Amino acid sequence: MTGPDKPDDRALASARLLIDLVTNTLDPGYAEAAARREAGAPRRRYDRPAVAVGCLLVGFLLVLAYVHTHRGAPEAAKVHDSLVSRVRAAETGGNSLAARVRDLERQLAAAQDAALPKSGAIARDLDLAQLQAGQLAVSGPGITVTLREPAAPTASPDPGRGGTTAIGDTNILTDRDVRSVVNELWHDGAEAISVNDVRLTPTSAIRFAGEAVLVDFQPITSPYRIRALGDADNLSTNFAESSVASRYQTLVGVDGIGFGFTESGNLKLPGSGPVKPRYASVPPTKKRGNR
Amino acid sequence: MIAGIALIAGIVLGLILRPTVPTWLEPYLPIAVVAALDAVFGGLRARLDGIFDAKVFVVSFISNVLVAALIVFLGDKLGVGSQLSTAVVVVLGIRIFGNAAAIRRHLFRA
Repeated sequence: MTGPDKPDDRALASARLLIDLVTNTLDPGYAEAAARREAGAPRRRYDRPAVAVGCLLVGFLLVLAYVHTHRGAPEAAKVHDSLVSRVRAAETGGNSLAARVRDLERQLAAAQDAALPKSGAIARDLDLAQLQAGQLAVSGPGITVTLREPAAPTASPDPGRGGTTAIGDTNILTDRDVRSVVNELWHDGAEAISVNDVRLTPTSAIRFAGEAVLVDFQPITSPYRIRALGDADNLSTNFAESSVASRYQTLVGVDGIGFGFTESGNLKLPGSGPVKPRYASVPPTKKRGNR
Repeated sequence: MIAGIALIAGIVLGLILRPTVPTWLEPYLPIAVVAALDAVFGGLRARLDGIFDAKVFVVSFISNVLVAALIVFLGDKLGVGSQLSTAVVVVLGIRIFGNAAAIRRHLFRA
């Protein structure tokens, strides 16, 4: 390093630092201590205990790290497993409750049929009200609008941290898109709408949690199939002319989403469970009959 | 000899006690391990070179661990924790490799 033609000391400083790092791997302290000691010096009293304590600490540290790492991993797996099993249990619980609701609804319908006259104003009123409330499964002509995420979604920018990204960061289509299509369909004259087989009722909400769109708190994922009953011709014409449709046509070209709508003569929409108003009630002073 | 016995004793002690690492200490553990390995390989090489010194070994071990932890701590506070950790690991890793190569030359003359 100390040749006669040393170019520029400062220019070489960083390079020398690196060379020094690679070539002088041993702590210089050892050489200095050896030089200080000279040959044949008697061993100091604390030499052996010091080495013993140092090695003890090293061994302890290594095992500490090992135990910590290997205890942490099964813990994380355990937490994950228990979360998965809890989700599964909640799902089966929810499914059995939904089945029970359907069962009870059948009983209710049977009881109503038995109690009410088969035809007449009351039965018609009830059917109409239930239809409008989205409680009855319905069928009829309508259109199906499909929104689909691009086939190969853009990689999430920071894959290291899950659960912290908002839906808009990773998905092009969000609750807002589903909502705007639904609103446009209501505006175009739809009489009943379902999103991915979740029937919309007057109190339905479309929002998002994490990376899933929630319709009435039921998570749905792409592709989003929005089916609307109504005059199929009118619906599709009005929808095709709407600004919502043209926006998604643009997105098809720009972002590669899937978007399309088809008319069909006979769509079947499921009914939703009865929604009980929690706050709204009929004023007690008015009789229900004289509306 | 005594070093090997002490090392095994430390390992056994750790296995028996199985101490839990406090959360605030967790980020420093990997770096401390790398620093400890550096000290061990340095000590081994110095011994083979015939210039081993107990004081230098213990002091370099403790100071390595503390300085590495300090660097990570500062890095975490300043938002460059992972980068500084990488720097520490690279530097200590080079040293470990160099010392391991020297030990290999001593042992196998190759």
